[in-house]
Amino acid sequence: MGDDDLARILSNEQWVIPSAGFAIAVMDAVRRDSTVPPPIPFPWKRILPMALVAMFILVALSIAGITLLIEYPLSQLIQWPKPRNAVGAAWIALSLVVTSLAVRLSMRFACRKPY
Amino acid sequence: MDAAEDEAAVERVLAGDTSGFEGIVDRWQGPLVNLAYRFCRDHGRAEEMAQEAFLRAYRSLDGWRREAAFSTWLFALATNVYRSELRRIPLRTLSLDEIAEPRDERATDGGFEDKDRDRSVRRAVLALPAKYRDALILFYFHDMDVGSTARSLALPEGTVKARLSRGRKILSKKLSQRLGPVRLGEEF
Repeated sequence: MGDDDLARILSNEQWVIPSAGFAIAVMDAVRRDSTVPPPIPFPWKRILPMALVAMFILVALSIAGITLLIEYPLSQLIQWPKPRNAVGAAWIALSLVVTSLAVRLSMRFACRKPY
Repeated sequence: MDAAEDEAAVERVLAGDTSGFEGIVDRWQGPLVNLAYRFCRDHGRAEEMAQEAFLRAYRSLDGWRREAAFSTWLFALATNVYRSELRRIPLRTLSLDEIAEPRDERATDGGFEDKDRDRSVRRAVLALPAKYRDALILFYFHDMDVGSTARSLALPEGTVKARLSRGRKILSKKLSQRLGPVRLGEEF
């Protein structure tokens, strides 16, 4: 293969002819697209004030949190619950199972088709 | 291709006449389908990709700044669409180490062998890393015009030249293992 072979192979490619209905299919798609209403723009004007307020609250809370952490050590603020006994854990597990069953049952009733 | 016709068609579409786009489709369907075909080597998929490119062009006609020719804008847009499509659904290509097929033993006059070799080279281009593949495909599609290639890829000409050079080197290395010594010189 010589120096110009790559150029010859890649530039002298056979020209593909689009199928007979191609232009019609494209125009159909274009017409369908033109009838679709434009997407509703994101309501930045409404969201922006709320986002600013949320940002302000977040910053204020962060500052308050940092101030609190400086005043009191972390160990004083967070007191991890100590496990008392195995009976307490069993009750917690049981209550979780009962809650889960109740939720599933109520969802089943709610999703049932009306007769 | 008449630039004035394109501009008139664009004006019609922007004024609300959708049928004005027919002229653009008629004039550019061949180039866009062929460019897509070089990216995927599948006629059906090439038409799907070209259709998507036309749709995107229709939706963003008002984004065509008249500083560049309509064709430049259309090719850049189509190239973007094709590259995105290939990223979304990659080609089922073989790796560069697997591309070359065994030579056709029936070849006596070189005819079969040439076809095999040409096919191997084209498949090897598709198996290149995307940035080299795109540069090579567009360079040869645009009749070896670095400027047009750079505009289609929205890259500086220097970057395109570097990618072409590197792509050629990779191709040369991989193909020479299978097809014999390859010397792919600089052509720009």
